[in-house]
Amino acid sequence: MAQSTLALGVEAVGCAGFDAGIKGAFGYPGTPSTEGFECVEALIHAAADGRVAQWAANEKVAYDLALGVSFAGFRTLVTMKHVGLNVALDAYANSALTGVHGGLVLLVADDPGMHSSQNEQDSRSLASFAWLPCLEPSTVQECYDFTLRAFDLSEALQVPVMVRLVTRLAHCRAPLDRREALAPTGLGPVPAAQAQDWVLIPSNARRRYEDLLAKQPRLLAALADLNRSVPGPSRRGVALAGMGRAYFHQLALEHPELRDLPRLELAAQPVDPDLEAAFLATVDEVLVFEEDYPLVETRLGLRARVKVHGRMDGALPRVGELSPRLLKAALGLAPSMGTPAELDLPVRAPRFCDGCGHVDAFEALQEALGNLGATAQARVFGDIGCYTLAAQEPLSALHAVVEMGASISMAVGAALAGLHPAVAVIGDSTFGHSGLPALLTAMDAGADVTILILDNRVVGMTGQQPSQALDQVERMVLGMGIPEASLQVLTPLPRHHEANVKAVAAALQQPGPSVLVFRRECIQSLRRGVLREHDRNEKAERASACCTLEVQP
Amino acid sequence: MSALRIHGIVLSGVGGQGVLSLAQIVLEALRRSGFHALQSEIHGMSQRGGSVQAQVCFAEVPLTSPILDEGSADLLIALEPLEALRHVAMLRPDGHLVASEEPSADMAGYPPLEDIYRALKAVRGACLLDTEDLARRLRHPQAGGMALLGMASRHLPVPEAVWQAVITERFAAKGERVITKNLEAFAAGQGLVPARAEA
Repeated sequence: MAQSTLALGVEAVGCAGFDAGIKGAFGYPGTPSTEGFECVEALIHAAADGRVAQWAANEKVAYDLALGVSFAGFRTLVTMKHVGLNVALDAYANSALTGVHGGLVLLVADDPGMHSSQNEQDSRSLASFAWLPCLEPSTVQECYDFTLRAFDLSEALQVPVMVRLVTRLAHCRAPLDRREALAPTGLGPVPAAQAQDWVLIPSNARRRYEDLLAKQPRLLAALADLNRSVPGPSRRGVALAGMGRAYFHQLALEHPELRDLPRLELAAQPVDPDLEAAFLATVDEVLVFEEDYPLVETRLGLRARVKVHGRMDGALPRVGELSPRLLKAALGLAPSMGTPAELDLPVRAPRFCDGCGHVDAFEALQEALGNLGATAQARVFGDIGCYTLAAQEPLSALHAVVEMGASISMAVGAALAGLHPAVAVIGDSTFGHSGLPALLTAMDAGADVTILILDNRVVGMTGQQPSQALDQVERMVLGMGIPEASLQVLTPLPRHHEANVKAVAAALQQPGPSVLVFRRECIQSLRRGVLREHDRNEKAERASACCTLEVQP
Repeated sequence: MSALRIHGIVLSGVGGQGVLSLAQIVLEALRRSGFHALQSEIHGMSQRGGSVQAQVCFAEVPLTSPILDEGSADLLIALEPLEALRHVAMLRPDGHLVASEEPSADMAGYPPLEDIYRALKAVRGACLLDTEDLARRLRHPQAGGMALLGMASRHLPVPEAVWQAVITERFAAKGERVITKNLEAFAAGQGLVPARAEA
């Protein structure tokens, strides 16, 4: 039955995935995309009808899982944040050539303004890069409607379809009307006769690339109704995409004179060049409001004799997210002003939770480096997670944080270049995400690196999702070839501080790669009881295993 | 065509204080009162004890922008005094501020409390609440947020029955006692602000 509810933008995408009849949902947590997966996961668990919702070890794995479901003939949704798509880019770009069988929709949540990300790259560029369509909703209801549409498009055109959100929309909560949910319908696997389309050896890949390019006009036609040109009496126009569209429409409610401006409203790419040309012919200048990179702006600028204003000419800031305030300034509307407090306000930065085990681990590391007189020359390579907070005061314990998994490989590279001590600090989930291959190489290279794996047993920062590495970190480390003598498991608690300092110091002095696993559950997940049932079951299993052993003769 | 008045509420506090939860109650109450409403929030690292804020916009027609401009909020609800000051520039000249006096001062460079209170009292329409004292009197450690909402409710076009229903449903999973405690805190807050004539 159709129903109305309140939902976040990303949740609306999740709901649409469920209602579109997906067989499987996959993803890797990352703000602001996480709740999209969690929403569809909850719906799938409640339905209990054989569908699957599975967090993956990383975004590439998630995407390949989805592509497998598509190959098997079912609809599928895969979710990640913008930088996650870099990890999945090999899979995404090549799935443009294989095409899809069951509909495949990729939710990507971009983070302009970098609220909780290391860059503000624009996923629309990656969709164009792969010659694939991208839908860009601007309201919570559009998040839902466009995702349903994306499944239809994906199957009609046999390509993966990206639905691109930005933080403000991903985390906008608003009423959502849902349609009746469809049950998953299987098409059966890709028929044997077509299997060559999916085997991207060069001879097939060349043919499939031609096919993909030949699809482009059909793609333009299929998306045509999502983009439109709205005439107006003014010779000054606006081009609107994503949140630019949302902000402009709301401003036009408060400032009715804005309704006179001709508008180019874009909700999908690629955009028909004729539509843009026809719009440009009606204006002398155009202001472009799009979130993130100046893509529409650059394109219109290349095509037009009219003046194009936006991020490139200073009408809007070159970086950061759009806001109604920026639109007003660019449109020449009077800014609304408030009165700030008459007091200098210190920034209240995020910090480690009280009692967090990560702090104990960093304190042990810093003291060990100090005892060895190595504080000045040591370099600590960090990674992505709550422990990134150690980069700031008072710990100031990290010297580099780049992207998921970089800690180990960068430390190895630095060590091979002669830097000593070279230390990597990585979380358990990030280790499973992309630390594993780096450790394999560390061992092969025999680099003098010390690797701290901070195992809090969950994906802490994004809301304590289950970590794929749960209870397996030592086995994973040993499996990469690290000798048992070079692996230690420590408990980051103040009462173990002295012992931990000694263990870290010993590891720092040991030649070759050594690994220290600091294991203590995230205090947030402990408080919420996230692993309570898991641990109870484990304990019961161990107990029954012992009993079985005892009764054997 | 005439211009339309869009109403805005800013909620602020420190990660873990329940800012987002309070914002969701406000959003639901406005929606049930017949308004078109949107809420924006920022998740992620801000949950780790940093500043947190949420915004709610509402109007009689559908809205599309989840964020407010400076000087355009009718109401600021702050669960912490420093976090109140951080957002006072969001208020319209005729806006209202309801804020907790209870500091979360576990950070570097927290200004002297008397300076904070002085700056808060200089804000037109400010109404401060000693949430620590109220929590003690009501024997309900988390009473502050709900009492501030009760105070704020005097400035919002939401019928009493809707508040009661939304709060009751919000805490339904936690049992009768928690519902009663929260309704009690809400009523205590309401009692501190005179009912507005047009509400």
